[in-house]
Amino acid sequence: MKRWWAVLLVLALSAWAQGTLKVGVVVSATGPAASLGIPERNTFPLIQEMVDRQGGVAGRKVEFVILDDASDTTQAVRNTRRLVEEGAVAIVGTATTPASLGMIPVVAEAKVPMISLAAGKEIIHPVDAQRFWVFKTPQTEELMARAIVADMAARGVKTVGYIGFNDAYGEGWARFFEAELKAKGLQLVASERYNRTDTSVTGQALRIITRRPDAVLIGASGTPAVLPQRTLKERGYRGLIYQTHGVANPDFLRVGGRDVEGTLLPAGPILVAEQLPSTFPSKRVALDYIQRYEAKYGIGSYSTFGAHAWDAWLILKPALERALKRADPARDLAAFRAALRDELEATRGVVATQGVFTFTKEDHLGLRFEDAAVMVRVENGRWKLERVFR
Amino acid sequence: MDATILGLLLLDGVQNGVVYGLLALAMVLVFAVTRVILVPIGELMMFAPLSFVWLQGGKLPGTLWLALALGALWALLERGRGRGLPLAGGAGLLLLFLLARGNPALAYLAALLLVVYLGVATYRVFFQPMREATVLALLIMAVGLHVAYQGLGLVFFGPEQYRPDPLLQGEATVGLTWQGVLVLAFALLSAAALYLFFRRSLFGKALLAAAENRLGARLCGIRPEEAGMVAFAIAGLMAALSGLLLAPLINAAYFMGFMLGLKAFVAAILGGLVSYPVAFLGAVLVGLFESFTSFYASAYKEALVFLLLVPALFYQSLRAKGVEE
Amino acid sequence: MRRYLWFSLLLLPFLLSPFPFYLTLLNFFAIAALVALSLYVLTGLGGMTSFAQAAFMGVSAYATALLTARASLSPWAGLALGLGLTVAFALVLGLLTVRLKGHFLPLSTIAWQVALYILAGNLVGLTGGHTGLTDLPPLSLFGLPLDTPFRYAFLGLFLLALGVLALKNLRESRLGRALLALRGDALTAASFGVDPAALRLKAFLLAGGIAGLAGFLYAHFLRFVNPTPFSLEASIKYLVMAVAGGVGTIPGVLLGAALFTGLEDWLKDLLPLLLGRQGNYETIAYGLVLAGILLFAPQGLWPLLAGRRPSGRKALPQGEPLPPRPPSGRRGEVVLEARGLRKAFGGLIAVNGVSLALRRGEILALIGPNGAGKSTTFNLLTGALPPDGGEVFLFGKEITGLPPHRIHPLGLGRTFQHPHVFPEMTVLENAALATYARTRAGFVRVLLGLHRKEEERALATAYEALRRVGLEGLALERADRLTAGQQRLLELARLLASGAEVLLLDEPGAGLRAGEKRELARLLLGLAREGYSVLIVDHDMDLIMGLADRVVVMNYGEKIAEGTPEEVQKNPLVRAAYLGEEAA
Repeated sequence: MKRWWAVLLVLALSAWAQGTLKVGVVVSATGPAASLGIPERNTFPLIQEMVDRQGGVAGRKVEFVILDDASDTTQAVRNTRRLVEEGAVAIVGTATTPASLGMIPVVAEAKVPMISLAAGKEIIHPVDAQRFWVFKTPQTEELMARAIVADMAARGVKTVGYIGFNDAYGEGWARFFEAELKAKGLQLVASERYNRTDTSVTGQALRIITRRPDAVLIGASGTPAVLPQRTLKERGYRGLIYQTHGVANPDFLRVGGRDVEGTLLPAGPILVAEQLPSTFPSKRVALDYIQRYEAKYGIGSYSTFGAHAWDAWLILKPALERALKRADPARDLAAFRAALRDELEATRGVVATQGVFTFTKEDHLGLRFEDAAVMVRVENGRWKLERVFR
Repeated sequence: MDATILGLLLLDGVQNGVVYGLLALAMVLVFAVTRVILVPIGELMMFAPLSFVWLQGGKLPGTLWLALALGALWALLERGRGRGLPLAGGAGLLLLFLLARGNPALAYLAALLLVVYLGVATYRVFFQPMREATVLALLIMAVGLHVAYQGLGLVFFGPEQYRPDPLLQGEATVGLTWQGVLVLAFALLSAAALYLFFRRSLFGKALLAAAENRLGARLCGIRPEEAGMVAFAIAGLMAALSGLLLAPLINAAYFMGFMLGLKAFVAAILGGLVSYPVAFLGAVLVGLFESFTSFYASAYKEALVFLLLVPALFYQSLRAKGVEE
Repeated sequence: MRRYLWFSLLLLPFLLSPFPFYLTLLNFFAIAALVALSLYVLTGLGGMTSFAQAAFMGVSAYATALLTARASLSPWAGLALGLGLTVAFALVLGLLTVRLKGHFLPLSTIAWQVALYILAGNLVGLTGGHTGLTDLPPLSLFGLPLDTPFRYAFLGLFLLALGVLALKNLRESRLGRALLALRGDALTAASFGVDPAALRLKAFLLAGGIAGLAGFLYAHFLRFVNPTPFSLEASIKYLVMAVAGGVGTIPGVLLGAALFTGLEDWLKDLLPLLLGRQGNYETIAYGLVLAGILLFAPQGLWPLLAGRRPSGRKALPQGEPLPPRPPSGRRGEVVLEARGLRKAFGGLIAVNGVSLALRRGEILALIGPNGAGKSTTFNLLTGALPPDGGEVFLFGKEITGLPPHRIHPLGLGRTFQHPHVFPEMTVLENAALATYARTRAGFVRVLLGLHRKEEERALATAYEALRRVGLEGLALERADRLTAGQQRLLELARLLASGAEVLLLDEPGAGLRAGEKRELARLLLGLAREGYSVLIVDHDMDLIMGLADRVVVMNYGEKIAEGTPEEVQKNPLVRAAYLGEEAA
């Protein structure tokens, strides 16, 4: 009963709370991308608390409307339309590349700025009439692949094998990793696929081993990334094993145990925030986020994905403040959205957990490689900073 | 390809195949007795190791409350003395769970019994009331339960995988862990046990009779409802045991069961959904096929495995001469 | 014209225009409803199920995406290619699987679904892989771009209304009746000239085409395609919608589509408020809602709301019956002849060398103790079973081994030991099923509604036949309201409507009261006088002896006697057979 009253109260309040800024959020809290989407969803209560404590943005309350897309394009698009039509000033989300791509026509048509939380470079490149409205915070696969290949080259690796998810994640990695290898003169000798639900990858592992690569990259996210690594080791592979930043969550270490000792992976600097040199720009911001997240969800619970959502807010907040000076969302929503987009594009030097964001007309990712990627090694069941590129 | 690789692939295929085989046997059994195509068997299978992991960590898993809730519904549906079983079972389960926190041996048993109880309660609450329905309606019900149980799995256990410790450590030979040996042994043992149960024991024969002919079964003194519950209990037991044994090898997570179930299902169809030995052989075939396609064309593996059905179905279709009534 | 009321769906965008999000939902509703309609054809009418409707959507969505985004062709070319490809796919899959019965078809569609999904994800060069294809152009009609949900909804709803009309036409046609009959009992349908495999295949193609149309709408509404909307999960969702609403009726599947399209967003709002933010409860609610509907309203929600009314037409036919086909030809001429029929089941010889001849205008009875092989003989004559040896001739033409649907049009009709009537149809429609072989309208004509004249005549023929057996007063009742005796009469009416002149009746007297039996005998004698030839199997000696001109007696699969009723009754072999039976 109490809940129902609360519902009614909320509805009544929202009816006359004209001054509220509504930010629409689409996350993949269920389905295959849930391990990325859940930390993102968990981050918004943190943001809400912080904003409320600061008394909103420029005196206005901010409301985050969070909808789950179940890792599905159709639902992501539906959610986006709904949020747009409910008057969201901006859209944040979602975690998967295809779903984010599906959302682009919607926001472009409605002329609402969007900050994607997915990796794919296609989301913001090239900045055409539609992508004019789209920004994103996570590092692209291209950027992370560059880190891996630079590390491989530094270790004298010549031949490389790849095994990745048979979905958009694995495919994106395969594409950019291969291009990056070619650019650096390394040779890809095997490219295999597997499914998150597979119970055995012996065939793929054997295939890779017969080609004798110096290093293997596993293009997978979350705990299902453990299986290929374990199988490769069990079948006697002794070369280097790289993972992607998709595994940068505590569960990977928990399930992987000894099997993932020595794994190399590229990651946003936040993963090893406390080990970063104090000159690293995002160190302080990252530690701040980790502390807040762990205070709410427990020690060791944070993952880098939630930080993408946090970064989106760090970018959005100053842009909102500036846009509020130019237009009033209560009077002319369209003008405000356009102003907000312009101000997002005008973002310069915003220090966030994953790097420093500076958007331009041509670049809606805005991260510099040196600030946004580090190499990490798994050592004694912990993330250990291996290499910075600054 | 050299002999070592061939050997390893064969071994891998057989190891996967017997697991599909176990599930396929359970599916054929359930289908024969109740005409239900047990799609949620994959979820039941995953509930066991995940509940076990939770208990080992000293927590009570959400599956317990699910089982107790369904048990309560079951008790409501029964009258008089029939209520004893669900109520006593539920109480026992609760007690066992409270005792089993942090005690691996008890936790193993508790996870096992939980799934059996859940299986029987599922039958009693969802399938038995619609036992006169068509195979199609039952299939859709099964799909609905799969969706619901999978969603519950995510709520109870989160999106990530868990890996309980294996019962046996180490490798027996190259490419085969002792835990894998355990799985193989269990599969063969349970196949044999099923065979003996249906061929030698009176109750097993009666159960088969119930599958053939409802009226006949009633005359033999076995109620169809009872037969259905027993079939679900056996299927639950097989799913739970194979889940518990497999989890250290494959990592358990809420989403892992469906594909296993679906492939077991392919195997069961290769056996025409009637023959136990052919279903088991079909399962091994699926396992081998999967192993080799993952070596040669890993991106298309799933497509190829499912297209394995085509020749089998085409054969069935050629055999389906005349007009069915 | 009540049927055109469906176009009032087009008013919805105006009504919903103050609520922009509902316009979006409306578009998704139209798409989902089209897919649900395709399941109405497959499952509701045809009794088949597909877990691959989303894959069919995907084929067409990708086809139009490739043509428009890659080759910059018109979306309408995309539509043509999309529909063509979907139907071609459905044809290949259908040829392989529609002959499979029961659960095998749905199972095989799972395989297609998974395989097509994986192909879409892995043929990266063609389909853009898992990432998908972007930048599809919006559709435009008469120069007006359909680039807002408001405008797009008109197209979607217009196509939906067209689809509903076409399928209503289908339901009220010879093809709709034949599909319903196939679902209930393929043998009955086949014995009225319905080729089960061919008709199922066509229904499968039609369903594939409708799903393809939905896929086209989907692609240009989202203007982006990737594999996930065409996954097994999506297919399952569409099936759930259709079944929950009531897959046997058109309003039912539409209700299901509307309910689930709305439910999804509604649950998204409601469940977190009730259960807290942690966890996602939509899928659980989905599954449980479905389970609840299956338990408490197994026919779906719509039949529960609308009551169990028959879905057929509500008016008696006014038209001219089909041209009558009175039996012609010389009386006493042999019309149906069996020579040395043999059939064995495993080691058991059910029929061994039976020969018999039915002459025009006579009533021939086939009798014998239980298990004598009468019913098997019957099935061999009508093509329900292929014989192992021997020959069958109808009007001098060899029909040995032909399937029932090819034998029936030659002029042979049969009834069944247990009356086979279809409860979803009215009595009139049950009778009209028999005119299938006498009418011609194919799928195209039916869907376009060009079959009405013929349909009216078919119904008039059926009504004539009902009048002949005295059931005209019950013509618009549901067939399952009839008593057992009335069902027998309905079967007889069906034979008359079919225009067959050789009538094979399997135990027509079973379950009849004495008065009804007399009525039946009178009717049969009248028919024989008109020149119909009747072969009758029955246990009721009184009925047979009073009715038959000649009697053939079988025992242990062999013919043991033949002659007039009096001769046969005196035959010691016959007496032994029956007395032996009675003694045992």
